[in-house]
Amino acid sequence: MAQSVRLAGRVLDHTQAPARGATVAVYPAAKTAVTDTAGYFSFADLPRGRQQITVTFTGHHQAMLEVNLRKHLNKVADITLIPFTRVLGEVVVSDNYAGRNRRESSLQIEAVNSDYIRRNLGGSLMQSLERLPGVKTIGIGSGNSKPLIRGLGFNQVVVVDNGIKHEGQQWGADHGLEIDQFAVNRLEIIKGPASFVYGSDAIAGAIDIKPAPPPSQDTLGGAFDLAGRSNNNQYGGSLQLYGRKGAFFFDTRLTHTAYGDYRVPADTVYVYSYAVGLNNRYVRNTAGREWNLHASAGWMGSRMQSVFYLSRVYNKTGFFANAHGLEPRRVDAALHDRSNRDMLMPNQEVTHHKIINRSVFRPGRHRLETELGFQRNFRQEWNQYVNHGYMPPVYPGHMQVPSTLERQYDKRVYSLNIQDEITLGRHALTFGANGEYQRNRIDGWSFLIPSFDQVTAGAFVYDKLRLNDALFLHGAARYDYGRIDMKEYTDWFSSDIVSNGDTVRQYLQRAGNLTRMFNSVNWSAGVNFTPGAFTLKANIGSSFRMPIAKELGANGVNYHYFRYEKGDPGLSPERSYQLDLGLGWTATGWSVELSPFFNYFPNYIYLNPTSQHDYYYGAGNQVFHYAQSRVMRYGGEAQVRYRFLEHWSAEILGEYLYNEQLSGEKKGYTLPFTPPPSLLLNVSYHPVFRKTLHESYVSLDYRLTAKQDNIVPPERKTPGYRVLNFSAGSRVRLKRHDLTIHLLVQNVLNTRYLRHTSFYRLIQLPEPGRNIILSVKIPFSVSING
Amino acid sequence: MCLAVLASLLFTRCSKDKEEVDTVYPEIDLSVAGAFPRQCSSIQRGQAFTFKARFSDNAELGSYSLDVHHNFDHHSHSTEVEECDLEAKKTPVQPFLFIKDYAITAGLQEYVATVEISVPADADPGDYHFMVRLTDKEGWQTMKGLSIKITD
Repeated sequence: MAQSVRLAGRVLDHTQAPARGATVAVYPAAKTAVTDTAGYFSFADLPRGRQQITVTFTGHHQAMLEVNLRKHLNKVADITLIPFTRVLGEVVVSDNYAGRNRRESSLQIEAVNSDYIRRNLGGSLMQSLERLPGVKTIGIGSGNSKPLIRGLGFNQVVVVDNGIKHEGQQWGADHGLEIDQFAVNRLEIIKGPASFVYGSDAIAGAIDIKPAPPPSQDTLGGAFDLAGRSNNNQYGGSLQLYGRKGAFFFDTRLTHTAYGDYRVPADTVYVYSYAVGLNNRYVRNTAGREWNLHASAGWMGSRMQSVFYLSRVYNKTGFFANAHGLEPRRVDAALHDRSNRDMLMPNQEVTHHKIINRSVFRPGRHRLETELGFQRNFRQEWNQYVNHGYMPPVYPGHMQVPSTLERQYDKRVYSLNIQDEITLGRHALTFGANGEYQRNRIDGWSFLIPSFDQVTAGAFVYDKLRLNDALFLHGAARYDYGRIDMKEYTDWFSSDIVSNGDTVRQYLQRAGNLTRMFNSVNWSAGVNFTPGAFTLKANIGSSFRMPIAKELGANGVNYHYFRYEKGDPGLSPERSYQLDLGLGWTATGWSVELSPFFNYFPNYIYLNPTSQHDYYYGAGNQVFHYAQSRVMRYGGEAQVRYRFLEHWSAEILGEYLYNEQLSGEKKGYTLPFTPPPSLLLNVSYHPVFRKTLHESYVSLDYRLTAKQDNIVPPERKTPGYRVLNFSAGSRVRLKRHDLTIHLLVQNVLNTRYLRHTSFYRLIQLPEPGRNIILSVKIPFSVSING
Repeated sequence: MCLAVLASLLFTRCSKDKEEVDTVYPEIDLSVAGAFPRQCSSIQRGQAFTFKARFSDNAELGSYSLDVHHNFDHHSHSTEVEECDLEAKKTPVQPFLFIKDYAITAGLQEYVATVEISVPADADPGDYHFMVRLTDKEGWQTMKGLSIKITD
């Protein structure tokens, strides 16, 4: 019978070189083959229908892909393997872009996929990525965090989601990044200035969440993710459904998670010197909920691809009731302690909507990509009215704003990106342009930043010159324009002002109408040399960031910190110059990577705590004034991996950062939120069980963090600490799919420690205690007759 | 080996440091003779009282501010360990409010502040907070929040 068909393909290692001697197994046909010197494999006698291909190669992760053998001669696309040392987590077979990009880019890039996130599942996306050297988070509570790359964060790090810059309220430490971590398929973290690709704000780096690859041909299936965390009694689930028929596909996801108050290894915490007793060690009122909905649908033609992405991310979390902001507060403990899962005031609610279209056209030698996006970030902070400064003692009945709406930020953003890639001989040229319009409105009874409109636009050209297989040169230039229009704001209450010896009551104008325009030209140049076991990367470039509305126009009391923050309307765009090096060495069982950097800012924008107090605009609070100073930063990361026995490996990840202000009032001081040096020691065991369990691991992480004595007002010195984490997991083969299980125990020894970059560090609130996290992913499919 | 080299490379850079920066917070001392108010002090309305405290810093003092506001809703706590008896919650009618900032002569490491504050006779009696905020020249701030009472 003509039942038997042929299957052929090629296996490449991470350098795109042929992987010779790799084992290729086909299941359930139960045949194996070994690749030849050119990396090719072939099977002559396979049955028609679905088969799973598994590729095993020394020093690399196992690769798996499903094929549907329907033709007589079936060819699969090149399979690029991911080495244990390079990309973390499991292989991305469907697309070798990540590996190639990392190899051919002169920037420092960490690539992570969904499996890595599930293995290191934290309360939020950034917490799941914190194990990566050079990546930290600024967080509040157990479900909110923001990225900190080499000690810089907020508006200095860009987050890109499906090609569009994610715009939330990046400037604040007390709210998080509105991204559903279950919906992340793979992402890249660029450590270092990346303005020439991502524009303003990518001055310290970028987190680029890549579009998920479309489902394979003629499939209808899904996956169910379940996750639980013991520390805050969190449960969560995410249901994904996808399907593809011919060129059309859809992919949808619904995620829900709910958690209670988190626990710390302390019975009493000291807010300033006031002792706050914790009920059963629960941090009062830090529970939260999340509801996320994603839907995408698209058409994947050979010359044209177009995908629509819709999402809604909703999050409600309580703030530690004994210290809203940083003020010691009297609370009704009986009311709060009745339940660990309720969210009473103070709390915050954030809803982020996104609609994105991403299209790719391939006319001739071109690859044209467009992204169109609209997003709305709506954030509300709820709290009982408490008069501060000159606010009236009783909330006036005539106010339109509810007495419990402390702050509200409503941001609408329209974005457009166009990019064209052309290959001309040895040159791979990319031309691109981006534009963004933002409309920001505020509400609530407290004032911090004014309403504003903002337009930014930029254009860039990037050339990657391939001199030979081992040597690439990079050059890029970019021009940016930005304009910000801030709106006038006047207090709704009057203040006592002394004028010619008389005290008069006056409504203070906090912000006037202000328009600023900015221009900036940036460049980047780099080299990649990968002759073999040794790799060298070097990159030098400039980056910039437009001052944000808060830096230009803040003029009010930040009651979260009890400080009077004053913007400077004359600030110039922040600039940065950075030199990055990447040295790598790979040998059998070994790999070493070093990535030192040196960074200089001629005009870093910094909120400078002065020795002044101000009763007039500042209601008696200390004056914090936005200023610019010269800043020098250097540091780096080191990653050593060693496979010392067939099933055993060890890993050492280290990071170091030094910041210093070279001018201005804080000359000699560091920058705020400078993470202390840390070292992560890991031992992993990868047992092999035939047939049923795959990619099993048992792993111990021991993180040693040094003390941080290098501080700047209003920080506190943070002692060093040692934390032990344990993890284990496996992929269980079921009939047609693999079920994956990950177990993670964070802070195994229930160590009490303070994290220097936590929002609650200033009130001495320790980090969460022991936390057992279990996650299971159950894929399923509904077959379509092809 | 490799690790040791790396570690020494990374960790020695920071030790050959520039001159030390000031990281010491200023201090508010309410234990000096005649210091007033203290935690749980009472002040009579319609009269004046004198705030007195001793401020000190290792390098140079900056400025201070005083803030007296009502705590009829028990909204927040003093920074002191000792608890005071609070009256029942009530709605303010004409609460006493006092906010003022004061400079400290440049170059001082020690300063005894005295400020006369008069409380109007028609101010609401009840629970109040007396906040003292003190900075040093570098911008380190120490806060003291005292619970006090204004009485008839």
